[in-house]
Amino acid sequence: MIETTIHRQNPMIDPAFHAWGWEIPVYLFLGGLVAGLMILSGYHIIRALWDKDRAHGHYVTAPILSLALLTVGMGALFLDLEHKLYVWRLYLTFEVTSPMSWGSWILLLVYPALAASALLTLPQTFPKLARRLPFCSRCAGALHDCPRVVQAIGFANMLLGVMLGIYTGILLSTLSARPLWNSALLGPLFLFSGLSTGAATIHLLAHVRRPDSGSDDFSDAVLSALVNWLRPPAPGHVGTQKLEHADNSFLTVELLLLGLFIVGLLSSTEVHQRAVELILTGPYAAAFWVLVVGCGIVLPLTLQFLQAQHRIRSTVVPALLVIGGSLALRIVIVAAGQASAWTVASH
Amino acid sequence: MTDSTDTSHAPRPHVNPYWAGFALGLVLLTSFVVMGRGLGASGAFSTAVATTVHAVAPAHAESNAFYAGYLGDGTTHPMKDWLVFEVLGVFVGGFLSGALANRLKFVVEKGPRIANGPRLAFAFVGGALMAIGAKFALGCTSGQALTGGALLNVGSWAFMMCVFGGAYALAWFLRRQWL
Amino acid sequence: MTAPLFKYGLFGDEISLIVAFGIGIAFGFVLERAGFGNARVLAAQFYFRDLRVLKVMFTAIVTAMTGVYVLSRMGVVDLSLVYLTPTFLWPQIVGGLILGVGFVIGGYCPGTSCVSAATGRIDGIVYVLGMIFGLIGFAEIYPMVENFAHSSALGQITLSSLFKIPYGVLVFAVVVMAVVAFVGAEWAETKFGGKKPDADSLLAPAKTLAPSRLLAGGIVGLGVIAAVSGDPYRGPFARVDTRELALNAGTKADHISVDQLADWLVQGRNDFLLVDVREPAEFAAYHIPEAINVPLAALSPDIADRTERIVFYSDGSIHSAQAWLLLKSLGYSNAYMLFGGLEEWKDSILFPRLAADATPEQKAAFDKRAATAAHFGGAAQTGVAPATGTPTETPKLAPPPPPAGDGAAPAAVKKKKKEGC
Repeated sequence: MIETTIHRQNPMIDPAFHAWGWEIPVYLFLGGLVAGLMILSGYHIIRALWDKDRAHGHYVTAPILSLALLTVGMGALFLDLEHKLYVWRLYLTFEVTSPMSWGSWILLLVYPALAASALLTLPQTFPKLARRLPFCSRCAGALHDCPRVVQAIGFANMLLGVMLGIYTGILLSTLSARPLWNSALLGPLFLFSGLSTGAATIHLLAHVRRPDSGSDDFSDAVLSALVNWLRPPAPGHVGTQKLEHADNSFLTVELLLLGLFIVGLLSSTEVHQRAVELILTGPYAAAFWVLVVGCGIVLPLTLQFLQAQHRIRSTVVPALLVIGGSLALRIVIVAAGQASAWTVASH
Repeated sequence: MTDSTDTSHAPRPHVNPYWAGFALGLVLLTSFVVMGRGLGASGAFSTAVATTVHAVAPAHAESNAFYAGYLGDGTTHPMKDWLVFEVLGVFVGGFLSGALANRLKFVVEKGPRIANGPRLAFAFVGGALMAIGAKFALGCTSGQALTGGALLNVGSWAFMMCVFGGAYALAWFLRRQWL
Repeated sequence: MTAPLFKYGLFGDEISLIVAFGIGIAFGFVLERAGFGNARVLAAQFYFRDLRVLKVMFTAIVTAMTGVYVLSRMGVVDLSLVYLTPTFLWPQIVGGLILGVGFVIGGYCPGTSCVSAATGRIDGIVYVLGMIFGLIGFAEIYPMVENFAHSSALGQITLSSLFKIPYGVLVFAVVVMAVVAFVGAEWAETKFGGKKPDADSLLAPAKTLAPSRLLAGGIVGLGVIAAVSGDPYRGPFARVDTRELALNAGTKADHISVDQLADWLVQGRNDFLLVDVREPAEFAAYHIPEAINVPLAALSPDIADRTERIVFYSDGSIHSAQAWLLLKSLGYSNAYMLFGGLEEWKDSILFPRLAADATPEQKAAFDKRAATAAHFGGAAQTGVAPATGTPTETPKLAPPPPPAGDGAAPAAVKKKKKEGC
């Protein structure tokens, strides 16, 4: 007798197997995005020390935006916690082997680093607001006078960004009961995905909020963003071109890592092969190939390549696609990963 | 290369209609051979609307026979539907072609004798009517006229004649919008 | 190779979505190239300024029609498997009129509005919003118009079978009609629209073979061949890969045991179709829960999707094996038969018997069987009688447990989702 069974790892059928809903993917997405923004803005802070003429573009908005996004992400994580009141206990100990413990401590360090760089860039980001807060602008001025401190802030941002980005992947890969996540490549994969999302976000900011729009106030910024959204983007903005190049290299590396991730699992045990088949041909294949690979990586890569060659007009579409694809990547990996555990359990 | 890029920002002309039609026919034929079904469009929007309504008001969606038809039997997510993915591709393909031909532009398409506001109101009303017509006819111009036309479907040919009939009958009254 | 590839089980539902995305990209790309992302181009059709819509649509229809005819005539495509939207004549006439009015008011149809929205046309975006509004509105009035929407049903019917004209002749007629329409359209464009004929217009007096004339000539040529070469290939002529079939039968890969079936039913799985091939009267007397009745004589080639898992059963094994063979030959990849049939079902599921000299393990297994039997409305037998002679004491079958609402109609095959637009 040959056993024939069809696995139906479908979230609609077996909702119980999916303990994690939307909160964890959103948290991982925002964590990765903030990591990317931290690395890019940290790099910018350091570069700006040497090169005084370097255009600020929208790197300066990144730290303040990161603070907001990280808080939203933490909120999503908090919603997912079973015992919300005991969250402080994470900070009573430090377990070297526990990624959760690492993560909570990294996050604890990320906030001050972000706050420092946000303070540093406040006068450039929101000049009007900075004038109303003389204490903040005085602090920022004092910081700018000590290049060493600025450099340290930049390095701290880059380092913590890398750690945060890798941590969002490692968080999954330490849960060894889920074969799909048993890959050391998840960390770098999520890091580079975060980097490309970060570059895309700055790109998006450059589109919706032009330096020449002269908006200082936040409400002005929102209004001009809405107006700019409907206006065709200016062709060949120098800063955005660099971003497109950077984004394309991040996306290429991400695609390679994704390929290695799949090949690695395919050449592993049968359980791992079956796990990765979930996203290659199984119930998550359509979302994976169409949304993650097609719309999230290959299409923006192509569009940005054509834009860089001036074959097509520069638009916000690639940036939006990269951001959407990055979210889809985490949703698919988290959902398929949880289903992969069930496959093992059934055998 | 610099020469060609400098002049290329003007929108390129549309391709010869016969060759565009030939290409469209080949796409349709590919769909027949690979999938055993034709192209479509309106069904994807029906599915999307049904899924959204189901998410907001599950009881209402399940009790309505129209929505229930698009929600499937619950074994798969309703958005995992052939037409939904096809229409997603239509957006991507349209954008790609528009980008390559320099036709991306935020603009209201209309005749010179009508203001933007009325034109957009007409577009909204036209869209709503189109949706109702497509649901009565079990398909739109893609799903019925094009696909069924190629398969010599009785209903599709009746439908197609009526589409042209309805449009020509009203065209004279709407000439201010287009001419 | 036999097509449609999907219906012959070359790939599953999940991959079909990826295929859908690819086909959609090509569809959107071509629509945009044709200029259909622009409402002015589309609306020009209704003022005889530029009859692009007519030209593109009819060239596409003619191309796909002759293409699918030629392929099915060659036996590559099984035309009975290409989905044909059923005809509801009056709703489609009324729907067509409403849609035509919507077309000239809004300037788009659903497919073209996607392309126009994707290229930034604000009216296209608003049109899509209007469409969503219209759908919600239609859903609310649907209970009132449902009867009308299902009226004057003619089923899945082609013009060829309606008018009793051979399919190939009709293909030729449509091709000729299209070419006449193109010539008329170009004449109308110059007459009413004041448009100069294109370089390779069908009307131009030049004797050169312009590419579009070659295209027209080629398709007319195919139409002539169609007119004389007979009907396209349709399903019921089955074909069998004998080696695969022998392998399947030899390895018993085609069997489902009664225990397995009972497990599936207890679990409430709905990913298979259980088909009773006995006569309706026998089916009415007793049938396995969830089964539908399709008597062997009524077995049609489109009982379900080609990839659907189907389990046949009859009293013994012969009729179900015949049904299995028929469906395998029609390209159903997941057909199975219940091993031992209904006899085996009665003996080991409904009325299992514990031998007197049973070991404790057998006893433990028997308890589980007894529970299963109770689930299906049977009763376990702890009879001491040795199972040598004919089991004269076999109890009468219990009336069927909660009857499945399917009734005895062969048409009651569960459909996952509507296939049309």
